[in-house]
Amino acid sequence: MRILIVDDSSTMRRIIGNVVQQLGVSKEDFDEAEDGVVAWKLFQEKNNYDVVLTDWNMPNMNGLDLVKHIRTADKKVPIVMITTEGGKGEVITALKAGVNNYIVKPFSADILKEKLDGLVKG
Amino acid sequence: MSMSQEEIEALMSGAESTEADETEEVSVDAQPDETTQGVQEEQQEDVQGDDVTAETEESTTNTSESEDDIDNIDDMLAGIDGIVDDGSDIEEGLDTNLEQKETKKDQSMEELIDSNQYPMPVKHENKVVNQLNEVADDSEEKASQIFDVLSFILDENNEIQNYNKNMGEFIDTQVLLLDALAKKFPNIDVFSQNLETAKTLVEDSKSLSSKIDGENNKVFEAMELMQYHDINRQKIERVMAVIRKLNSYLNGIFEDDNEKPEVQIAKHISGDSNDIVGADDIDSLIAEFSEEG
Repeated sequence: MRILIVDDSSTMRRIIGNVVQQLGVSKEDFDEAEDGVVAWKLFQEKNNYDVVLTDWNMPNMNGLDLVKHIRTADKKVPIVMITTEGGKGEVITALKAGVNNYIVKPFSADILKEKLDGLVKG
Repeated sequence: MSMSQEEIEALMSGAESTEADETEEVSVDAQPDETTQGVQEEQQEDVQGDDVTAETEESTTNTSESEDDIDNIDDMLAGIDGIVDDGSDIEEGLDTNLEQKETKKDQSMEELIDSNQYPMPVKHENKVVNQLNEVADDSEEKASQIFDVLSFILDENNEIQNYNKNMGEFIDTQVLLLDALAKKFPNIDVFSQNLETAKTLVEDSKSLSSKIDGENNKVFEAMELMQYHDINRQKIERVMAVIRKLNSYLNGIFEDDNEKPEVQIAKHISGDSNDIVGADDIDSLIAEFSEEG
């Protein structure tokens, strides 16, 4: 499974990467990006991701814009928004933009595992 | 108000039906307005307190004088036989003097700040947004280092777990061997004794394995808790954004749209204090001046 992890905090990228590794994904099978611009570039170049995990508030290009960009090129790839934005309005906005699932920080590893399992099986 | 994961789940399942009813509360405009801020920062950068410069010059002069003294003493000592120079006493003395001066300077500045008499000079390190930015960056760096330590513990634990597994497998074979020997030679006590020891070691190995698993779980827990670093960083960024907006607003509201040249301000105006000269004082001053002329 190829995963793209997008977050401007290096600590968060490592936390998410760690959970993903616990699921059996090797380090070589996931890429990291510190903002939407880098992530969009990686997505276009590699074009082989099975899941995208992205933060919302990031410099240069935020997560919501990234989701919109990805959806213009790929309607199917599952996208999970992992963010501190816990408002109902934000969740709806993200869903409308094309996010498949939504996790509010702080989250437990089990929640992320559960969501990823659901997306991969579904 | 924040939503719990359960509420999000409920929302996800009913998203389609609620979408039409909900009014969007989108507040994506989280990016701070930085265009004016950069210019204002540059303008403020040049403003420096004269006394700070004077103090720096004074300390530089003192230091160079002290260095000259050391050179002279060194020359004198070089001319005397049998003296071994370790240099420590003089340097220590100088260091102590400098430290004392610095401490005194810090104390006096603190006193002035405490009595609201001495605003911090507008320097890069005193600007609030810069300070907050520095805190966020430092914290990110340290969090990364903590993560390195936790990752190291996990890796080491995995290695210990592998060693333990290998030892456990070996002890299992020894238990089988000793069991067979103890049954075949029931009169030889050493077989039955070693069998008991081996069985105890098997249990110890299992216990060690579960302890390592428990420790790994605690490390994962610590890693999860480190998410609060990111959350706190975002809280700091929110404060920084407010300060930037406030800065922009205050600069805007105090801005002078007039193109009139700045008028020199009067130093003493009637009503300011009792020190203002009266008509009599002026006359006597003029008279005094005329006499001198």
